[in-house]
Amino acid sequence: MASEKSDLLQGTLDMLVLKIVALEPAHGYGIAQRIQQISREVLQVQQGSLYPALHRLEKRGWLKAGWRVSETGREAKFYTLTRAGRKQLDAEAANWGRLAGAVALIMRTVE
Amino acid sequence: MDREIAYHLDRRTQDYIAQGFDPVEARRRALVEFGGPTQIEEDLNDIHRPRWLADLRQDLVYAARTLRRSRGFLASAVLTLALGIGANTAIFNLIDVVMLRPMAAVRAPGEMVQIARVREDCGSCAVSFPLFRYFHDRLSSISGSFVEMPIRHEITIDGVDDEDVHGAAVSGEYYSVLGLAPAAGRLLTPQDDAVPTPVAVISYDYWRRRFGLAPSAIGARLTYATTTLTIVGVEPKGFEGTARWRTHSFAAPLSMLNALNGGNGEWRSDWSINFLGMMARLKPGVSLERVNAEATALFEPWLHDRAATIPAPFERQQVLQQRAAALSGAAGMNRLRDQFIKPLTILMGMVALVLLLACANLSGLMLARATARQREISVRRALGAGNGRLVRQFLAESLLLAVCGAAAGFGAAQWFSRMLITMMANGDSLTLKASPDWRIFAFTGAVSLTVCVLGGLAPGLGAARANVNPALKEVRSGGHRHLGRLLVVAQLAISMTLLVGASLFIRSLVKLYTVDTGMQTGGVFLVDVLSKHHFPATRSREIQNSILDRLRQMPGVVAASAANVVPLGGGEWDREIAVEGHIFRPGEDDTTLINAIAPGYFRVTGTPILLGRDFAERDESSANHVAIVNESFVRELLAGQAPLGKHVTCNNVTYEIVGVAGDTKYQDLRKGAAREMYMEWVQQQSAEPGRWQPMGYTYMARVSSGDPMRLAPLMERAMPQIDRAMRGFHPQTFEDQVNQSTLNERMMATLGGFFGLLALMVACLGIFGILAFQVSRRGSEIGVRMAVGATRGDIVALVLREAALLLAAGCLVGGFAAAGLSRFAASFLFGVTPTDPWAFAIAGLALTSSALAAGYVPARRAARVDPMTALRCD
Repeated sequence: MASEKSDLLQGTLDMLVLKIVALEPAHGYGIAQRIQQISREVLQVQQGSLYPALHRLEKRGWLKAGWRVSETGREAKFYTLTRAGRKQLDAEAANWGRLAGAVALIMRTVE
Repeated sequence: MDREIAYHLDRRTQDYIAQGFDPVEARRRALVEFGGPTQIEEDLNDIHRPRWLADLRQDLVYAARTLRRSRGFLASAVLTLALGIGANTAIFNLIDVVMLRPMAAVRAPGEMVQIARVREDCGSCAVSFPLFRYFHDRLSSISGSFVEMPIRHEITIDGVDDEDVHGAAVSGEYYSVLGLAPAAGRLLTPQDDAVPTPVAVISYDYWRRRFGLAPSAIGARLTYATTTLTIVGVEPKGFEGTARWRTHSFAAPLSMLNALNGGNGEWRSDWSINFLGMMARLKPGVSLERVNAEATALFEPWLHDRAATIPAPFERQQVLQQRAAALSGAAGMNRLRDQFIKPLTILMGMVALVLLLACANLSGLMLARATARQREISVRRALGAGNGRLVRQFLAESLLLAVCGAAAGFGAAQWFSRMLITMMANGDSLTLKASPDWRIFAFTGAVSLTVCVLGGLAPGLGAARANVNPALKEVRSGGHRHLGRLLVVAQLAISMTLLVGASLFIRSLVKLYTVDTGMQTGGVFLVDVLSKHHFPATRSREIQNSILDRLRQMPGVVAASAANVVPLGGGEWDREIAVEGHIFRPGEDDTTLINAIAPGYFRVTGTPILLGRDFAERDESSANHVAIVNESFVRELLAGQAPLGKHVTCNNVTYEIVGVAGDTKYQDLRKGAAREMYMEWVQQQSAEPGRWQPMGYTYMARVSSGDPMRLAPLMERAMPQIDRAMRGFHPQTFEDQVNQSTLNERMMATLGGFFGLLALMVACLGIFGILAFQVSRRGSEIGVRMAVGATRGDIVALVLREAALLLAAGCLVGGFAAAGLSRFAASFLFGVTPTDPWAFAIAGLALTSSALAAGYVPARRAARVDPMTALRCD
């Protein structure tokens, strides 16, 4: 049971990360900040799962990483979306849309 | 810290500072929010490292930690493994050196074959010079061939330093067929051999030892006996000759053989003088089978033509009992392989059993640990460890043990193979280097891996099956009792098998030692002699007599004599005879064993003269040739007749029988007595003039008491006084010589006994372990039994009953296995059958008494259990 729940969260996080990076290349801190801002502080990203997720996505070939100078003038590791990552994002977004729609339907009709 | 994480933490710290926190607090908040950076770093590493590798590392670290906590277990497991792996590696090392490892420095050794005669008594007999020429000219599937024979004598280099060295007389193509290039100077060529040319090459080792690799060795004069050879070159580095056990220091052309060793060269034309080892190189692409078929086909007509010239039907029949064969020669000549392949194979089987035993033992130990760690396993399982993960954990532990065992075993193997080589050399010089090569490492590795898998798999699978709940609830479940018992039965069965083998071998040896040789071998000194040159016949006789005189004068010597063949020294001499009063039927064996002896021989050997007289000094000059025959001779050929005065004709000389001696063993302790005829040495020399020399005899002396070897230094001093050219050589006692003829039996009995004892110890440890463990687990049950009135005796009986049950099963299985296996060792048994009931009884008794003794300790402990303590504890 426990592992299924975490899979769902993980999957969601992966999708969110891909979406953020799709907007523009970003580093880990920036991605966390962006998710928090865009979701209006609703979604808090656990750093403990963010970085493993980033590394996992990089290993699967969906993200590409490289060191560049950041907005503060220090070097940071920036992640860029790859072509395969773009496809994955589209697939996950479509999937998410279907799922969210279905959940919304149920929430409306029942009662 | 990872740079990426550091960047993140710094940015968060800045955020908090911006919100008004002081820098220290800001940092603390950032860290708390982030969680453990180290933990995350580990997670990140896990993503990039394959999962199994990470697990393996974790497993090994964990295994090392748990093993360190149980030192007793670690020590006993590693010791058992070291013995098992060490013994296997050592025996394999010898098999490798004796028969697998290709000849060093030789070009394409896989193309080399040995051409040999094959007879019942030897798998690769020597060939004659005419046969070599025949094969050399006719075999179409070979590109070249050569023959060689070992020679040995004292040599001097440029007139200094007598040194006893091994040499080889080789035919012209020796070096070209082997494909060798000289390290210095040149090697021998066919031209050197075409006509006797006094040249020699030396081995690289000898060049280093004797000349310090100096180029001046080329041109040095090497004097062998009376012949001087000029050194023309050095063999390449690493070349060990064609026989690893007999490396030569120098090689001379075969055509120099007469000059070197004396003789009239009859070997060049006599096809019955078989003394040469022959090797050939296959033409490219030709298979061993083809050259073998060709050699066999060529040999048959050749042999038939020659056998047809033999008048005596019995001998003709004997000669025809052979064929020619081509044997794989990549590892060189096959003689040592013929000699040791059987004992080594049987030893390999025995040590494989020891290894299996070690596996069963390790497995049992780990199983016991697994049961004791039931709770830990259940916790791990409850935390989500899968079956595979648990099995891997056990495999990691046994892998660690196997690696430790392999390292210790590899060390033990070095020591062990040196010991074996000393044993195999049997007092002779055996220059076998058992240096390990990659094959040995691969073998040890494979063996250790097997141990690891076999030892760790069973308890691992047992643990994987274990349930989560009972153990967590601290209920003492049945666990792996059946598997544990099965392992103990396996250990007992293997021990039983090894013990049966051991007692068979030991009984054989005892029987051999107590066999009646017909002689008193104790208290007799034997010595051979060497000479720098040959003597004319009269001088030779003078020397022979002076040696006997000197021996007789030595303190404590009661009799001295000499013999051409000392019994049980491995030599054999037989001849066809015609006997007055006996007509040989066609096909009947018309040969007898022969020996030429000096007067007093029977007093030295302690053999009784049953009828007539011994030889005497007066026989030497008498024209009447006399002989003494043994009991078997009379029984077989002169039954019912008076033997004295009868005549025996042998090699055209007629001898009168003047005495009958008791039967003695001749060549082999294991064989029954055979008919034998003794001739007086001087008479025999004059009747058959030829090459007789003082060196042709072994001199022997009986001492009244004490160690016969005290004569050795006296003899060494006396010899040069008799003649400056003479030297005593190879002194030993008669007993030692007889012992040497029991090499295989001694080796088998010693090693078999050692392995049997080892097995016994391991099995006892096993039974002790399982019983002690059961007693500790059944504490409450025993408490209940005692509370309701069981006596201490009852409890001891209860525990021992369990031991007896395991023991009975083990003995039965092991007994059957031994009965099936022991026939493979039949050729090493003497006086016992492979299913000798005594051997089985002894083995069973030894195992039973030791196992029950091992079981008694935990049984006593069980009986001392205090019922109240035991009951309260659960």
